[in-house]
Amino acid sequence: METKKCYMYAPPEHESRPSKRQRTSESDPHAGLSERLKIYSKTWAEQEKNIQRTLEEADRATQGKIIDFVAANAPSEDAPRISIPTGLIVAGPSIASHGPYFERLGRRIRDETNSSYVVLTSGESPNLKTLLKILIKKVTSRIEEDDDDEDEIGRFATSSRRGPKLLNFDLGHIQEWTSRNMVQSIVVAIQDSEAFDTAVLIEMVDLFYSWLDRLPFVLLFGIATSSESFEERLLGKSLRYLDGQQFDVTQSDDIIEKLFRATVAHPDTEPHIGPNLCRRILERQKDHVQNIQDFVHGLKYAYMSHFYANPTTIFLKNDPKFKDFSSDAFEAIRNLPSFRRYVEEKLEVGDTRSVRQLLCSDNFLFEVIKELIVTVQDALSSLSIAAIVLTRIRESLGITPKVRLSNVWSRAASGELLDSPLLRETMLSIKKTPSDRLARLIDSLIGLTTEDVGRHAKEIDIPIDLEQLQRELKTLIEGNASSEPLRSQDDVRNESVRTTVVAQKVLLSKHKAALSEQDKAYSGIVARFCQQLESYFRFALIDTRTLFLYEVLVYDLKSPHTEVFQPRPRLAIERALATPHDYLGCECCGNMQDAENTLAGTQPATAIVYQLYLESGAIINATDLWSAFHAIVGKDDEDDQSQTMALFQRALAELKFLGLIRPSRKKADHIAKMLWKGL
Amino acid sequence: MASAKRKRDDQDAEDTTPRKLRTQPVEDENDSLSELEAQTPSRRGRGLLAENGTPRSILKKSGLANELNATPKSNRRLTFTTPTKAAGDETPNGTPTIVRNADRSARRKSNRQLIDRTINGEDSEDEVLGEEDALAQQILSEEEDGQTEKRDKEADAQEAIPVPDTPSKRPRGRPKGTGKNQLAAKARKEREPSPPTELPAQEQYFWQNRPGGNKTSNNTLTSQTLLNHDEYFDTMKSCVDRHEPEKEFLLELHSRAYDQWIFELEEGFNICLYGYGSKRAITSNFTAHVYQHLLDQAPYKGTKRTPNIVVVNGYTPNLTLKDVLTTIASATIPKGLKLPNQISSLLAYILDTLARDPPPHPLLVVINSIDSANLRKSLVQSTLAALAAHPSINIFCTADTPNFPLLWDVGLKAQFQFLFHDATTFAPYSVEIDPVEIVNELLGRSGRRIGGRDGIGFVLKSLPLNARALFRIIVTEQIKAAYMDDEDQDDEDVTATSQSKKKKNAPRTPSESSQGVEYRRLFHKARDEFVCTSEVAFRTLLKEFHDHQMIESKKDSMGTERLLVPFRTEELQMLLEELLLENAF
Repeated sequence: METKKCYMYAPPEHESRPSKRQRTSESDPHAGLSERLKIYSKTWAEQEKNIQRTLEEADRATQGKIIDFVAANAPSEDAPRISIPTGLIVAGPSIASHGPYFERLGRRIRDETNSSYVVLTSGESPNLKTLLKILIKKVTSRIEEDDDDEDEIGRFATSSRRGPKLLNFDLGHIQEWTSRNMVQSIVVAIQDSEAFDTAVLIEMVDLFYSWLDRLPFVLLFGIATSSESFEERLLGKSLRYLDGQQFDVTQSDDIIEKLFRATVAHPDTEPHIGPNLCRRILERQKDHVQNIQDFVHGLKYAYMSHFYANPTTIFLKNDPKFKDFSSDAFEAIRNLPSFRRYVEEKLEVGDTRSVRQLLCSDNFLFEVIKELIVTVQDALSSLSIAAIVLTRIRESLGITPKVRLSNVWSRAASGELLDSPLLRETMLSIKKTPSDRLARLIDSLIGLTTEDVGRHAKEIDIPIDLEQLQRELKTLIEGNASSEPLRSQDDVRNESVRTTVVAQKVLLSKHKAALSEQDKAYSGIVARFCQQLESYFRFALIDTRTLFLYEVLVYDLKSPHTEVFQPRPRLAIERALATPHDYLGCECCGNMQDAENTLAGTQPATAIVYQLYLESGAIINATDLWSAFHAIVGKDDEDDQSQTMALFQRALAELKFLGLIRPSRKKADHIAKMLWKGL
Repeated sequence: MASAKRKRDDQDAEDTTPRKLRTQPVEDENDSLSELEAQTPSRRGRGLLAENGTPRSILKKSGLANELNATPKSNRRLTFTTPTKAAGDETPNGTPTIVRNADRSARRKSNRQLIDRTINGEDSEDEVLGEEDALAQQILSEEEDGQTEKRDKEADAQEAIPVPDTPSKRPRGRPKGTGKNQLAAKARKEREPSPPTELPAQEQYFWQNRPGGNKTSNNTLTSQTLLNHDEYFDTMKSCVDRHEPEKEFLLELHSRAYDQWIFELEEGFNICLYGYGSKRAITSNFTAHVYQHLLDQAPYKGTKRTPNIVVVNGYTPNLTLKDVLTTIASATIPKGLKLPNQISSLLAYILDTLARDPPPHPLLVVINSIDSANLRKSLVQSTLAALAAHPSINIFCTADTPNFPLLWDVGLKAQFQFLFHDATTFAPYSVEIDPVEIVNELLGRSGRRIGGRDGIGFVLKSLPLNARALFRIIVTEQIKAAYMDDEDQDDEDVTATSQSKKKKNAPRTPSESSQGVEYRRLFHKARDEFVCTSEVAFRTLLKEFHDHQMIESKKDSMGTERLLVPFRTEELQMLLEELLLENAF
């Protein structure tokens, strides 16, 4: 089996499955797993729906414009077309998300206009001939019969009913197809225009132009850079054949922000993603991948890990009943650090009776959990809401620098926001706001919803009597005769700096201008608003990480997440070879870091050769390597070196296989070093 | 060796002193030495004593502290009291007759010879000294230390005296490289190229790549030391691995994750295992596990149907993309349908079929060594990515090399949707690689592949006469070329003027890389000997050799093709003998 190239798996004849049975008989680590996975699939399905909706809504506007463009450029009898309608879709640098984007776009174009839609990628179009063949195949959705490249020139691919038979890269096929299928236009999307050979693009444009009187082409170019650089690549002649219009797609970081709001920072999510993990995912987005799909996968994997590995997540079940849970689940809860803290707090108050019950009675614990899980969930939601409110206030007042919700939220979740300069700065600017902007701010806070747009956005309720404030403010503004808005007492314009020279010293003194009655009243409103806002933030922005059941409701572990998405295979291999003890944990090659002789002869042969390799220079004499190896591994009493040699040969071959060495021609029997550890 | 060096350092000292004349440094030095020698015959012993008794630094200090009169040593006084001598040295034409006479003495001669040698090349130390040299060495060896000592002391003295009248440009302090300490340090440094420990990674890199720092010995492995296939496998069979239990434990550890992996695959992710050691055991166990898992489930439970799992062994040579796709097609497409021939159409057909008629569960494709050499082409990876991106296909693969993520750009990575797991096993890559073969190739002994000389003999017996003749020509030419190389090198060694080993090595490298016989030349040679008349015939003959791996063809740095019989020169000679013997019949 091992030497076959590829095969279908067939189990070995003799049936033996001892290992599996053994494990199930012990205490099952997967108890309740299927139950938890059920909860997982339900929660994730919910999230996925959110995500899909957000993505569609993010594209909706641009895609609508593109569809209008395609529809508007359908050929009409009376006006012959003089150039190919061309959409330049500036889709941004995250090329990995271009594929899904054009797929979604294609679905809508096919649904909403009477056109055929084809995506071409650079990989499948190395030259014009192949491009045309693929194009024809995709447009006519003809399943190609067996054809070999060699004889296709002489052979006629299809049997056309009239006229001479056509070669398989003749656009005549499409003409024939359109005459049968009556489409308005043929939309050809060039997904990665930058990766196409310029010559191919120019030839393609020329050819399409010459067919324009017979075939209703519409071109869409996916552009990762800018439309200017795209134009520069084409010839002036080709540009004259094109009638371009630019469409800007929502950039991936904006979409990520929207997704973040719909998923992580959504007040109704359950479970939440913790601040550490969240920061990690966002950083990876920003620095490495810039890929929406990847963000979603990261999120999904976090959910998966949470439900798969954490037995206490079973309490996230809807409408929990006591009989649903095994005693193991309660035991797991009792082992949580947050439970310990909870109990210790109770002990400090002297509430020993309930502590005893918490520890002994599953039933009592269940009631507590049932009650507290709602409270904690509320705390978490109000934290999310506070983050949204704060972001909205900053947006509405136009405070720079712009801080994204993701940033604000992760700071809030790690309990850093309450005394942060960010919050203080925001409060100060509210105090200085003139009346017209405050009115706008209060309006926008009243209309605040959980999501930016869409039917699913729910109103967010802030425990401040905003309507009352709004009413008072309104009457005040209406009573304001002057064209200037009202200003509060903290506004800089109500202060003037007076300069006096006393005994040859300049004295600066601030003076409050006398406030008008209306300004005074306005200042009162502002002060009240600020005070209420402040107490609201103080209530909402607590450090949730200390709450009981935090581990159940929030997933914040870096460990499997980082390795699984950002592996460091080179480090793993180097570590395995340099310190095999880390993996093997054997006694013989154990910890000898204190002693100089870390190179024990008991280590695996490859590890020994590798460590010798680490010590040597850029080229290595294999003979000397061998004698060093032999000195370490070989036994003095044996004459026969063959066993040591066999190990040495295998070790050397493995290093070569791993790409650590290559032959060197500088000297006989020398090998060259390829990788330096830790670089 | 040490003496020669010291001499050179004296030389340096001389050079750095502006007052001395540069034109005849050797003689000058000898002069001053002779003067010293002549006037204080007993100093040598004392100097040695001083040298042995006191460390240099202390001596220096005391010299400085006591300034002029504290050390009543004659040599010091001597330098003070004979400024005229030194001045006399300066005039090139005024060489005293004594000096000339002294020059004629045997000792002078040998001395100069040694110095010449030292100047011309340090490396000559490595060379076997001629008898004369040996003699000279012997004569000088006794004095050498004493003299150097004197020179050192002189330098010390110079340093110690405040010299107001000299507008010397020389910075105060001992001329570089004069001190014995430094000499010793230098020697030590050269003797021990072992790096300072605990360097950070980047420093380590520069240290190991420092110019001239990479000196390796010229030892070579004798051909008997390396094992051939039979010996290797025989030995390996009897080999007991002391880490067997730990490796078992690692496997067991990984096996605990099987259920998790199944969950991840079910959720639409693909899995890639990495880490040191062959992961075939894991993949095969996991495949069996998934098979059982699927058997217990809906469409198979209670029926005789069995789930399909495709296994691809990426490490097998000659594996093509077509093989992979055909196997996958056989698992997904009902039998009896004709499959498209072209790879792209076949891929499209598979994906299309899966989309139209999705199987009850995703098809698991297990790929061992997805980063193996024959799967590294971008077409292969993009095809695999297209398969992986399909919701009805799950990929479970392993990767062996440390840099495998470089195979995929952002686009491919997004399609693969991999979760990576560290699955270090420490298991030998027994199936993936052929150690004997790889090591032979690594050390340029790929000729062993066809069973050595005997193998070639067998092949040649089955070939026509002119093929044999051609092979003989190649071998002869190659031996000739090797000899010419050697001669060149010998010449170089004799006339070596370069000082460093590296320089001497430099001209050798191209001759190494230009080993073998140039294609053109060989053709002309063959034509001249009536082996073949046209290039076509010549090519046909060569092809036979190629097919039996008896010759290798290489491009040298100029791009000309060279043909090479992959044996060492000794073996080639024996081969040639056999060939000639055979031809005699």
